[in-house]
Amino acid sequence: MEKIFALLNQMEADGVIGRYAIGGAVGSIFWLEPITTKDVDVFVMLPTIPGGLLLALGPIYDYLLARGCAPQGQFIVIEGWAVEFLPPGTPLVEEALLRAVERDVNGVATRVFTAEHLAAICLEVGRPKDHDRIIRFVEAGALDAAVFEDILQRHHLLERWTKFQQAYLEP
Amino acid sequence: MNDLSRQFAARKVERRRQLAALPVGEKLRMLEDMVAMARAISATRPAGPARPVLGKAKPGAR
Repeated sequence: MEKIFALLNQMEADGVIGRYAIGGAVGSIFWLEPITTKDVDVFVMLPTIPGGLLLALGPIYDYLLARGCAPQGQFIVIEGWAVEFLPPGTPLVEEALLRAVERDVNGVATRVFTAEHLAAICLEVGRPKDHDRIIRFVEAGALDAAVFEDILQRHHLLERWTKFQQAYLEP
Repeated sequence: MNDLSRQFAARKVERRRQLAALPVGEKLRMLEDMVAMARAISATRPAGPARPVLGKAKPGAR
């Protein structure tokens, strides 16, 4: 996994991608116990095609294919892992990317969403597996209440959080 | 939930906390091991049931 982080750092330094951060299940592992996943979600600021609004994934693929990586559906396989490059699709994810924190993994620096942003994104997406992950964040004591509630308030998720607490968390 | 289930659930939470406190590199190594094991299990998967429960998840369910 460290080799993926090193490659992402190189891509950022080479200007192929803008600021990146790890989200999804792999991002959650930075704060929680290991949870299984088949892919690595890399959220990234992508350059837009000049004169248009379309995001330019082409340079990323060109860069990685030239380094022996192989495309696989919406993923690209790096070091045996299916990696997906995702633009921030909502203001919450955009904020998560801007406020992502640096972490060191066996001497390799990488950037990861904060626990509070990951949990808020889970609440926003709202699939069963996202609910499960929020419970894990809460049970692990990984969320700072003030920071989390501030995010929820700014992204209009407080009502959803109240309903979630009533449905899944003991008072 | 009875007392035994409560104790079991509490032990699970405690174990998760212990695992969460491990260094990130170690946790990512565990993930790599889990994925490798899941691949090995998939490779030896037995034939499916004769009368499987059929259904399709609603959009957004997963």
